Amino acid sequence: MVRTQALQLRRGRFTELSLLFWVAALAITGFLAVVAAETSAFGVSAIVVPVVFLALMASLHLFLVARRFRGDQILMPMAAGLTAIGLVLVQRLASDLLVQQLSWTVIAAGAFAATILIPRDLTALARFKWTWALLGLLLLIAPLLPVIGREINGARIWVKVGPGSIEPWEAVKLLLVVFFAAYLEEYREVLAQTQRRIGPFAVPPVPYLIPIVAMWLIAMLVMVFEKDLGATLLFFGIFLAMLYLATGELFYVLIGMVLLFAGGLLAYSVFPHVQTRVDIWLRPFADDLRFGTSYQLVQGLYALGNGGLFGAGLGNGMPERIPVVWSDFVFDAFAEETGLAGAIALLATYLLFVYRGMLIAVRAPTPFLQLLAGGLSFIVALQTLVIVGGNARLIPLTGITLPFVAYGGSSLVTNWMLVALLMRVSEVSSRMRGSP
Amino acid sequence: MRRPITGNIRSLTLTLAALFLITSVGVTYWTIFESAALASDPFNPRLIAAQDRPRGAIVDRAGAVLAASERGANGYVRSYKDRTLAQVIGYASSQFGLAGIEAAYADSLIGQDPADPVGIWKSRYLGEHSAAGGVVLTIDEKIQKAAADALGNRKGAIIALDPRTGAILASVSVPSYDPNPLADPSKQQAAMQQLQQDASRPLINRATQGSYAPGSTFKVVTGAAALESGFDATKKLRVDDPYQADKSWGDYFVRSSSHAHGLYDMSDGFRLSENIYFAQVGLQIGAAKLSDYARRFGVGAAPKLDLPAARGQLSDDGSIDRPTLLADTSYGQGQLLVSPLQMALIYATIANSGVMPTPHYTAEVRDADGRVVRSIAPGPVGQVISANTAKTLTTMLVGAVAGPGAFAFGAKIPGVNVAGKTGTAENRPGEAPHGWFIGFAPAEAPTVVVAVIVENTPDGGVTAAPLGGQVMRTALGK
Repeated sequence: MVRTQALQLRRGRFTELSLLFWVAALAITGFLAVVAAETSAFGVSAIVVPVVFLALMASLHLFLVARRFRGDQILMPMAAGLTAIGLVLVQRLASDLLVQQLSWTVIAAGAFAATILIPRDLTALARFKWTWALLGLLLLIAPLLPVIGREINGARIWVKVGPGSIEPWEAVKLLLVVFFAAYLEEYREVLAQTQRRIGPFAVPPVPYLIPIVAMWLIAMLVMVFEKDLGATLLFFGIFLAMLYLATGELFYVLIGMVLLFAGGLLAYSVFPHVQTRVDIWLRPFADDLRFGTSYQLVQGLYALGNGGLFGAGLGNGMPERIPVVWSDFVFDAFAEETGLAGAIALLATYLLFVYRGMLIAVRAPTPFLQLLAGGLSFIVALQTLVIVGGNARLIPLTGITLPFVAYGGSSLVTNWMLVALLMRVSEVSSRMRGSP
Repeated sequence: MRRPITGNIRSLTLTLAALFLITSVGVTYWTIFESAALASDPFNPRLIAAQDRPRGAIVDRAGAVLAASERGANGYVRSYKDRTLAQVIGYASSQFGLAGIEAAYADSLIGQDPADPVGIWKSRYLGEHSAAGGVVLTIDEKIQKAAADALGNRKGAIIALDPRTGAILASVSVPSYDPNPLADPSKQQAAMQQLQQDASRPLINRATQGSYAPGSTFKVVTGAAALESGFDATKKLRVDDPYQADKSWGDYFVRSSSHAHGLYDMSDGFRLSENIYFAQVGLQIGAAKLSDYARRFGVGAAPKLDLPAARGQLSDDGSIDRPTLLADTSYGQGQLLVSPLQMALIYATIANSGVMPTPHYTAEVRDADGRVVRSIAPGPVGQVISANTAKTLTTMLVGAVAGPGAFAFGAKIPGVNVAGKTGTAENRPGEAPHGWFIGFAPAEAPTVVVAVIVENTPDGGVTAAPLGGQVMRTALGK
């Protein structure tokens, strides 16, 4: 008796539903606050957008219930909440982009649903690992190709598709994690077999360092040809993290860090765009920079400073003074209007998301699924840390997007696919535990 | 199987959590600890808020409006009324930030004066903006106009202040500029570009930020140092042009502008502005004494002021290490550099019985209802020389204006005893010298000090003296 009740409850996904009510409250109050604070006329979009968004999230929930999906119930509402914050901020900072962002949200929801359905068997992904690697590499170099490649704001990471552009790099992230998970599952035993020890570090034989050096070379090529520090950092960061997850060898991480640092130094001495980035980071308030290259960062710091404990209130700050605020500096804009309280809450949401993802990884039944979930969660963590760190001048600024919140279609779609993949991993675990 | 992946996931998660903590600390640093510093940064656009809400007005001591926000078609537009005060009042530009009084009192001008912490708190945390207050300058538009008219379009500066309080009554720097385009979003870019490329540097306030050799106007410092070292001012010294102390100077000589030969005491030295006399005085009292008094009079340190001010220098390395430099410094040349404000303060000290006042451009900050939020009346810097020394110097400076053959005769005002001194600051060979005049009146109880510098004028101080006279006459209502 008790058992059947529990089963029904599980089928109902009540946790997810009740959390989605909080998301609804967040979206509605957010839009109302922005509209109320704005001096401009009351737009139809302020009603339409949250209604469409909430209907979309409700249908995703119903879709999962109808599929009797038994995976995690917390990640989807968290992603929905972050996406809601993103839409509120687009309405606040660049309302002319709102319809576009809402369309991307619809596409992202579709991609989420599709990833829940396909492939039937998640572990089958591992079988085609070299296909993913090849596809990833192709996408990685796509922006360099003559006709379709595009350079925007100094970074050549875009590909022209129809009237707009997409960032193939966003898809590369997912492909890489799948490939690394499959590759490392196969070779982790070999990579972890070490003969010698130097101090606390186990030193593997030289041939085992080939993959790490190869990855480093690819990362350096990305930096040189696509001029994108953020992608370089993410690409190599994901690889190192997953290598560590698979082998537990700190030595690899150490070598990787040294290589990355050396590459960074080399790039700094050779490329003016890298020097500029570092210069901005070290002395943004210098008179020769503050009206030029560091203008954006300085305006971002002013926004943070105006935040105080509880912020200026949605719509009451001046974050619109930050150039391209809706994609690069959305965190500072949020912090200005919701204060330290809002900023910490946002960071805590990301940490919870990462924690939940890592928990799924811990519970996953096979090394491949463990590495997959760990790598996917790590992407969200690293992206958040790198862009918030850049916005708060803890590290040099890079063009990485704040997951779910920053304006941008490619990023939103892949992040929702990432959520679906994590939920699928948790479903595998719960199915293996739940029924024989 | 070796170490399970589960353990690695845990370590990685903990590391990430620690990094999130560090990031939160970084965010806290900017939002809380640096908040006040960022809020008062003159380039912070939040201080300008020119188009959404009006900024407070800037008025002269009598209430005449010098800068105000006026309602236009697209919100508020800042309007500046007196271009002779451009470098003092500054500008509020949405692109280039704030300068001048607009920057120094930025918080007061948007209704967040530091004397009103509740207002700041309300504005920052509750979003309730109190109405902008106003700033009252010490500038007197009548004297300001007299100073601007006197200087005309000659490059240079005039600054007038009240020696008793340090209140700046007039401040002119030529060339000036029209600040209005800088407050206009559609014109600011072109206007700023033009101003920054202008070789005559109109954005600089020459009165406070200019650095010039003081020439003979510096002789009061040598005189003060000598008088306070027990030097007998009535003793006659032999002056023979050209002069050198001994053969070790080689082919280096101190020159007299009047090719003088004869016996001079200190009043003759001031009246006829005799370089060789003061070179000998300097050599007698020594480098240590002269450096000490120059420093006490504020040479080499920026005066405390509500606007940026130049430091000036005693010499390139801050010391006087050889007799020829000592001789040259004693009559105001060598490597000396001062701003007109610094010279005005030195003469204000003499006028004010040896007490140096603290200069200031602002009298008070008022709230939107006209109530005084904050009075600005900085106390004096301190006693620099004795009242006796100040009195003796004043008498000699009166002689330098009214005595027989005096250089500064142009500054005379009928019925008033004027004390003053001209100066001719030698420049690089081939470049005309700068002309100085610094004076105060009435000599018995001075109420105004004027410093005038006219750049590159062949007659030097003779050109400058009458300009100073005109300004003092207006200030005294004569």
